[in-house]
Amino acid sequence: MNTKPKLLLVDDETAITDRLAPFLSRAGFEVRVAADGEAALDEILSDSPDLIVLDVLMPRMDGREVLRRLRDKGDWTPIILLTQVGESAERALALTEGADDYINKPFDPNELVARIKTVLRRASPGQPPLSVAERLRSGDLVVDRTKRRAYLNAVEIHLSPKAILLLEYMVTHPDELLTRERLLDAVWGWDYPIGTRTIDTRVAELRRVLGDDANKPRYIETVPGQGYRYIGEVKTIS
Amino acid sequence: MGLAANRWIPNPVLYLRGNLAPLAALGGLILSICALASLYFWSRNQESHLREVQSVRERASADRRRFLHRLDHELKNPLTAIQAGLTNLSDEDLGEYLCNEVAAVRVQVLRISRLVADLRKLAVLENSVLETTMVNPGELLTEVIDVFENSASIQERNLALILPNAPRPLPDVVGDPDLLLLAIHNLLDNAIKFTAPGDTIEVRASENGHEIVIEVADTGQGIPDEELGLVWEELYRSKQARGVPGSGLGLPLVSAIIEKHGGSVDLRSIPSQGTVFSVHLPVRS
Repeated sequence: MNTKPKLLLVDDETAITDRLAPFLSRAGFEVRVAADGEAALDEILSDSPDLIVLDVLMPRMDGREVLRRLRDKGDWTPIILLTQVGESAERALALTEGADDYINKPFDPNELVARIKTVLRRASPGQPPLSVAERLRSGDLVVDRTKRRAYLNAVEIHLSPKAILLLEYMVTHPDELLTRERLLDAVWGWDYPIGTRTIDTRVAELRRVLGDDANKPRYIETVPGQGYRYIGEVKTIS
Repeated sequence: MGLAANRWIPNPVLYLRGNLAPLAALGGLILSICALASLYFWSRNQESHLREVQSVRERASADRRRFLHRLDHELKNPLTAIQAGLTNLSDEDLGEYLCNEVAAVRVQVLRISRLVADLRKLAVLENSVLETTMVNPGELLTEVIDVFENSASIQERNLALILPNAPRPLPDVVGDPDLLLLAIHNLLDNAIKFTAPGDTIEVRASENGHEIVIEVADTGQGIPDEELGLVWEELYRSKQARGVPGSGLGLPLVSAIIEKHGGSVDLRSIPSQGTVFSVHLPVRS
């Protein structure tokens, strides 16, 4: 019985796919490779993968176009985007993209495997992922991602621009260990020497506004020495 | 004779006074207008010259950024392939010698990857919209100093934070607090790198009516005249910086952040006595 998750790796650089495909196979996946967007769509039609690792910048049809076409026809196969340089964090977070996660090149292949496993664990087949939901509920908290606003018991709460982005990222990645490096990369767009402090300041702001006790958290749990984890149950509001 | 001659030879002064005085006045006026006009055109010329120099500088800087952006772009794919290839080499199959060699290569790949990540910071910053709030300069500087609180090198230097209280504490500026923190952090980090134990570093701020001026001054080795304009350039590493860790992107990032805030950066230095880096941030009236 073959229970290996099926991956489709899409990148026009054979130097990358030739190295990465064997690595992903050894990590326990069944891997197929496509060299551009059109080839990727053909592969998906012939045998739908469990997850697609999709480079953004490719000849013929780029990754964004592939993503758009799949989502337009209601195909919610989980996708991890390999994003391009200079991409602002906010754009990468935008729900219009419809990607489940993204990772900047160059990356540590082990980090990619960790992300793939997380996205697969989180994904429910055929359902849109939390990362594309417009409105999310978690207990008393509602996050409206189109308006970029948050409400607690139906009353709007006021957060700094970075805190609301951070909250948005956390509620769309519940139950995951979110290292400070990853949060910085996702929300601030880069890591920097004072990053740890910056994250902690914003988490403290979130906790204060949400009335969350760090010792008995309902929303944000501290993972000592590593980062944070969003522990509230999150649901999409339709 | 003398008198007669005197009578008939017109006295130039009298002559002028008598007949040409209005003309002279007019001439004087014309001359002054000409002088004023030429002064005006000269200064206009100077201004346009300055503007030209400024725009040449801006173009050069934009060219440099574009080039670095492309370089970053061209580096990321090969680096991704190299990292994946290195991960495929399992340490057990390699034997001790190759294992050490591969470990050394991995370290170097990480080093280039870090450089690429640093270049990306500049690109991200240029493409991003500032998320601004009111930032209190005094609190900002206190926070920067707190970041360094536990570093051994700061404890070996005489660090002072000087903030005005008269006639009032510094007013708030509009800015992105995280980015401003990063900018001042980089200046202080730089000051620490180019000073020795026992040196003095002063972080000070003042207002001059339309802007907040933040200075990071040190009694370090100073910067030679010929390098003053170069330290803001991406990847520039001073001769004195050899052996000092750094990417050559710390100060360009400072300048990019401050310019993004509508401010400017400056520096003055006395070789072997010390350097003052200054940041000018506009105050919204």
